[in-house]
Amino acid sequence: MVHLDIEGIDCSYGSVNVLNDVTFEVNSGEFLGILGPNGSGKTTLLKSISRVLEPLKGTIFLDSSNIYEMKSVDVAKQMAVVPQSAPMSFDFTTLEVVLMGRHPHMPSRFKMESKEDVAVAKRSMELTNTWKFADRPVTELSGGERQRVIIARALTQEPQVLLLDEPTTHLDIGNQLEIMDLIKDLCETKKLLIVAVFHDFNLAARYCDSIILLKKGKIVAAGKADETLTSENIKEVFGVDTLIKRHPVTGSLHVIPISRPRNHKQKTLVVHLICGGGTGSPVMKALTDEGYNVTAGVLNLLDTDQETAQLLKIATTNEAPFSPITDEAYNVNMQMIHKANVVVVTPTQFGDGNIRNLDAAETALKEGIPTVLLENGPISDRDFTRGRATNFLAKLKEEGAVTVKNICELLQFLEELETKNNSVSH
Amino acid sequence: MTAEGETAPLRHVAHWKLYLLIAVLVFVVIFVLALNIGYTPISFGTIAKILGKQLGMREILHGTILRAIGDPFPFVGNLIDYSGIRQTTRTIILQIRLPRVICGALVGTALATAGVIYQGIFRNPMADPYVIGAMSGASLGSALVIVLGVGIDILGVNTLQVFAFAGSLATVFFVYTISKSGSRVPVTLLLLTGIAVTYFQSAIVTFLQVIASDKLHGLVFWLIGSLAPTENWTRVGSIIPFIVVGVIIVYFYSRDLNILALGEDQAQYLGVEIEKVKRILIACGALLTAAAVSVSGLIGFVGLIIPHLTRVVIGPDHRFLLPTAAIVGSSFLMICDAVARVVMGSGEAPVGVITAFTGGPFFIYLLRRRKKGYYV
Repeated sequence: MVHLDIEGIDCSYGSVNVLNDVTFEVNSGEFLGILGPNGSGKTTLLKSISRVLEPLKGTIFLDSSNIYEMKSVDVAKQMAVVPQSAPMSFDFTTLEVVLMGRHPHMPSRFKMESKEDVAVAKRSMELTNTWKFADRPVTELSGGERQRVIIARALTQEPQVLLLDEPTTHLDIGNQLEIMDLIKDLCETKKLLIVAVFHDFNLAARYCDSIILLKKGKIVAAGKADETLTSENIKEVFGVDTLIKRHPVTGSLHVIPISRPRNHKQKTLVVHLICGGGTGSPVMKALTDEGYNVTAGVLNLLDTDQETAQLLKIATTNEAPFSPITDEAYNVNMQMIHKANVVVVTPTQFGDGNIRNLDAAETALKEGIPTVLLENGPISDRDFTRGRATNFLAKLKEEGAVTVKNICELLQFLEELETKNNSVSH
Repeated sequence: MTAEGETAPLRHVAHWKLYLLIAVLVFVVIFVLALNIGYTPISFGTIAKILGKQLGMREILHGTILRAIGDPFPFVGNLIDYSGIRQTTRTIILQIRLPRVICGALVGTALATAGVIYQGIFRNPMADPYVIGAMSGASLGSALVIVLGVGIDILGVNTLQVFAFAGSLATVFFVYTISKSGSRVPVTLLLLTGIAVTYFQSAIVTFLQVIASDKLHGLVFWLIGSLAPTENWTRVGSIIPFIVVGVIIVYFYSRDLNILALGEDQAQYLGVEIEKVKRILIACGALLTAAAVSVSGLIGFVGLIIPHLTRVVIGPDHRFLLPTAAIVGSSFLMICDAVARVVMGSGEAPVGVITAFTGGPFFIYLLRRRKKGYYV
């Protein structure tokens, strides 16, 4: 069992303060992820834990010893580091590089590596899938292969603490998952203490027990992944809007970033969306980015579009999850529609539960509110009302609803409407 | 691939022993050849007899160190018929050629070893023993002695040698000290400081050359490098301790040098005390270089190409590279010096010209042949 205790460290490069009073602790068998934007100090934090950059203030304890007072070789026996990338300027063979991991365990300066040393190296190379190029020069390996070699070397140190700086940045997705699974497995079975810097939320969420969010050298949030990876925290640290979902298979948090809106002039049109099942989300994003006032309904709570609307601060009329639209919701939605200048129907699926939304659209059209149908395929594919929705949509077209094929065309239509609207009001 | 992999760690160990054996054999052949080549022809048989006889005589050489070895082979000595060999011949071999050839071997060893050290520490294929000021420091020291005309022998040691040695060491120490940034000495800073100081000192040396008038020839000859001044045992005795100690200490740190060659952060992660190891290795490199240049002047190219050449053949593992490069370096310099002695007829060419003249084209050939996987 080993314990890593970081107590109030400050680090700086010259006069630039990079870390500010950072405190946390980790135990054997824990997997801690450090997340933060570029320049937030995450790599610096890892460097100071790995004895490369001594903090100006504060102490780092490995068990009860201050690591800056320990001998290099004693730290290396317990702690291994996998850097972001490792330059290789000499053509050592892969095995020779991995065997260097035995250095802290070889007290004699003259002895060659023993059979046991080679066995340890071989084991870690097999784990990282690098044994097959044991006698090839490292300089001939690809970036991803080389990174796996460095991980193998770190494991050859037989450490209790493993520090990783964006360990899988250069790897393809298959290798990424393989390596992370391996590290997670070592964490669980061998009770390794793992501290890893990530820039990928989802990788962090999937593998880390706990997460620290760093911003400008300070810890903004720390704790279990579920507690720290919230939209609010991510907005504060990274300044981006995100949707937080559960991964459909692994159940871990899944962070979906939404790009920042371009600063468009606020428009006067109010657009009401009839949507659902995720078909409205891109439209909501596009319209709010363009500066339109958007409302939507009726949406069932927990529907993707309902969540997106919440995130984008779009007013919606809601209905209970998985429930058909009640009269009450219908009426509230109609009030919303009356305030709108245009109604847009997205290509969502229609069932008995939400068919009344089309009724609302027809009412709006009859009352003179322009209605746009966004269509991307035959209606029959998404009609689960035995033809009623198809009939509704056909009727809407007859009564003058405009059909557009994609968001681009929709934006064009709205642009014209906006100009017309403005000239009328002047 | 996997099956071959089983023996992979021993690849260099196995090959290395063979290469080392070859290198030692070549060394011996060149050693004898170097004694044979010269203005006065002396047959191999005679050389063998003289050397054999000497192995059996206590009063071998009135030099220094070798006397202490004593008399390990008395019987061999007694068996050799020495009578047919003239005293002059014996003097040429024992008092002129032998010290010179041994000096060549020592200087070659020192330069090749220092080259390996600096290329490893700086992770730079351009690095050679002179890279952080050893050359310009030695030139300045010796140029001062030559131009001021204070080259005299004190207790058998020449002031020229002392100034070259001290100038070289002092300059490297100076470069190292002013490259310190906090508790660290970044290698890039060290390299750049070395270059700056080299230019500065070279400017002074150039100025000294301009005002040297009648002493110019001696100065130029020294700057190019020659083993001509080493034809006495005092010179051998004066450098042997530094070179032996330097080579042994470096070998002690060869595994650290392996790891350091991959980068300092990585070395730190693997438990190498980088600043301490760097300090020791640079000190050894400086000592080896200073000892070499103090007797032979600035012999170029040995410290640059021998490490490369050896690395191409036996790989980058410094545990094998250091001793092999030392043997190859000494063989190379011995043979170059032998050529230098006879190539111009009665006169003598500076050996630095021969090393660069043969080394340059060979080095280019090596680089063309092996473009990939060497240095990235």
